[in-house]
Amino acid sequence: MEDPHSPLSLFLASTAHDMKNSISVLSGTLERLLVDASPETEKAYPQMAQMLYQTRRLNDNLMQLLALYKQVGTADYPLDVQPLEVGQLAEQVVALGRVLLESRGIRLELDVDPELVWHFDEDLIVGVVSHAINNAVHYTRERILLVAREREGWLEIRVEDDGAGYPAALLEAGNAALDGQAFGVNFLTNSAGLGLHFAREVARMHRHRDRRGAVRLENGGRLGGGCFILHLP
Amino acid sequence: MNAIASAVVGAIHPQPAEQVDWAGKTYLVVDDFIGVRQLLREALRSLGARNIDQASSGGEAMALLGRTRYDVVLCDFNLGEGKNGQQVLEEARMRNLLLPSSVFLMVSAEKSVESVMGAAEHQPDAYLVKPITEGVLLTRLNRVWRKKQVFSLIDQAYAEKDYLRAARLCDEQIAANKAHEIDLLRMKARLMERSGEPARARETYERVLAQREYQWARAGLAKIRMADGDYEQARQMFQTVIAENRYYIDAYDQLALAWQKMGKHEEALSILERAAKLSPNSVPRQRSLGQACLRLGNVGMAEKAFRKCIQIGEYSIRKTPDAYLGLARVCGLKNDPKEALQLLIAAQREFGAEHPDIELRAKITEGLVYHESGDYRRARKAGDELEALLAATPERPDVRTCLEMATLLFAVGVKEAPVDLLCYVIRNNHDNTLLQDEVQAIFDKARMGEEGEKLIRGARKEAIDLMNQGVLLWKTGKLPEAVEWMRNARAALPHNVRILFNSAQILISHMQQRGYSVLLHDEAHGVLAHVDRLQPGQQRFAQLMEQLLALVPKEEPPAVAEPVPAPETSAA
Repeated sequence: MEDPHSPLSLFLASTAHDMKNSISVLSGTLERLLVDASPETEKAYPQMAQMLYQTRRLNDNLMQLLALYKQVGTADYPLDVQPLEVGQLAEQVVALGRVLLESRGIRLELDVDPELVWHFDEDLIVGVVSHAINNAVHYTRERILLVAREREGWLEIRVEDDGAGYPAALLEAGNAALDGQAFGVNFLTNSAGLGLHFAREVARMHRHRDRRGAVRLENGGRLGGGCFILHLP
Repeated sequence: MNAIASAVVGAIHPQPAEQVDWAGKTYLVVDDFIGVRQLLREALRSLGARNIDQASSGGEAMALLGRTRYDVVLCDFNLGEGKNGQQVLEEARMRNLLLPSSVFLMVSAEKSVESVMGAAEHQPDAYLVKPITEGVLLTRLNRVWRKKQVFSLIDQAYAEKDYLRAARLCDEQIAANKAHEIDLLRMKARLMERSGEPARARETYERVLAQREYQWARAGLAKIRMADGDYEQARQMFQTVIAENRYYIDAYDQLALAWQKMGKHEEALSILERAAKLSPNSVPRQRSLGQACLRLGNVGMAEKAFRKCIQIGEYSIRKTPDAYLGLARVCGLKNDPKEALQLLIAAQREFGAEHPDIELRAKITEGLVYHESGDYRRARKAGDELEALLAATPERPDVRTCLEMATLLFAVGVKEAPVDLLCYVIRNNHDNTLLQDEVQAIFDKARMGEEGEKLIRGARKEAIDLMNQGVLLWKTGKLPEAVEWMRNARAALPHNVRILFNSAQILISHMQQRGYSVLLHDEAHGVLAHVDRLQPGQQRFAQLMEQLLALVPKEEPPAVAEPVPAPETSAA
């Protein structure tokens, strides 16, 4: 790993800190404007909603790049596994997405076992699930379903939408990559590549006894669109 | 749409009874970036908050914390020049500027390594990663609040040092709170360690590990192994912990200790060095690295560590005179007594108010510096001055300082003062055979081997007689006399742990037989608190503390007191 005290690292750290501040202020301001406005009273409402969506994408990408820089997926990453009620996880994901979802007229449904206690790195998993929801915002028509339940000894988190589903090529390339096979060049240059790579690394870092977390993409599910599935041991 | 999303969220936690009134609380927001301060203020206002103060630097935050006891502090970790967020937290806690109910949230741009280091004494209630939205803030505030409710009675018992009651409260809460089970078990294990109950601590750690491989629990088991003297096994376990979580800093300290116990000082040093690299801005860490280097004669590395320690201590309440004294030693070894003396003057100027023994310690260091740089005339002069300082007060510093001082005094040719010091140490630790060997070695080095042996024997007997006479009075029912006798014994041997314990036990026994008294209670409490500072983690401490606190009259009918075991006697 890069020496964390080299000038480059220090610049990267302080610039990232600065960018995070700017994005915080941007998305916070946009959220406030959107909460106070409605499509009827505000002509620019759809554009503002689009700005919020793009700001969130920026934030997610920055977070993922920072995590990669910190070697997410290796022992160098400061993984912070703690017990947490799954309801608390869902509450934060909902809180992060609320204004964006409302502004795009998308309904988020929950099927969550709130008192189930699981062990994971809260910030990372909230980041992965909330990015999956932001993604789904782009592809869904009007509904997104978040499921978080225990299944066969694993915590299964599903983000499903009612859109057209993932294109076959992406499903194939994505699942090949997620299985740990080499990335196709096309997949790496695809903007979805970073998010999926990040999700896979985060999942794999979660270990319990001999099992490791995993990520999968599917079409179908309860809403008939794309499904992002995260399994944690 | 509003209604639907929030209705769904509400369904997750349908517990309106637990709702906290966040609007009525007082808040402090600390960030060096005005945009973020405004954003956080807006987020808090949307929770209904009205009383929100702001600070743009650590110094400003400290001034505000000194004036107001805030309910909630939101503090950024990076605050530019001056104190950082961790230093604000440490100072606020050490100066008691935060209430037990206060919530301190540390904010950072990205996941900080500090949050997984685990050992930091002063942890915030939660770490938040930007961007922070209202919803996330509310979720985390509520969670911290619920956790504080779960822990409030336990924390209170812990603060009163009633560790056994605190541990029972943990058990009660575990039964009712699945979500906090792991945290409660961690607390319970720590309480058992503090109460000198390693077997029950081990059982608790194993219960955690049966659920999940938490490295702090694995390290807890290793620590118990080490306490049993099984250093090699402990070393392997600590190394496994570090392989699994290279940021778990406590394991490095323990691993270094294990190496030291096995006499492998070079290995211990390299571990401490690795730990200091991981956590370069910790004052205590640089200090112990410097001291370890000095012991091993690695002057270059000691100098680097002590200089770093002074530099990072500039804005920290944890800055320490040890770094100045250590660096002065380094200067002496490098034949630069001039800088050494400047450092000693600086140490006395900076720390004089809070460290009453600094004059003595500076004088010891001065003597060592002169002695090591070969200026025997000035070394002797320092020795004489030291003797005068000792004559002026009956107070004596801790064992380490006493031994260091005696060694120096012998070396510069002073005779009486070091003998008195060594006898004082023995009288106060009459049952510590390792220490007796150490003291004997100092006598040997001063060519007083035989005389030293006699002196040690005499000092031990003095302590034992003092203790046994008190127990005899107690056994023959002369309680007030026994109490009085032990009071005098304590005054004569203020650091003798067994005399202190016996004294507390006789005080408790007096109250159990002749009725509760606030004065005797406070006296016993003071004695026990003193022992716990001298030698933490004693089983007798926890047991006596529990008995003492059970005597305090309550609203409800008092519980029947259990019979007290007899105070220990000792054969000469």
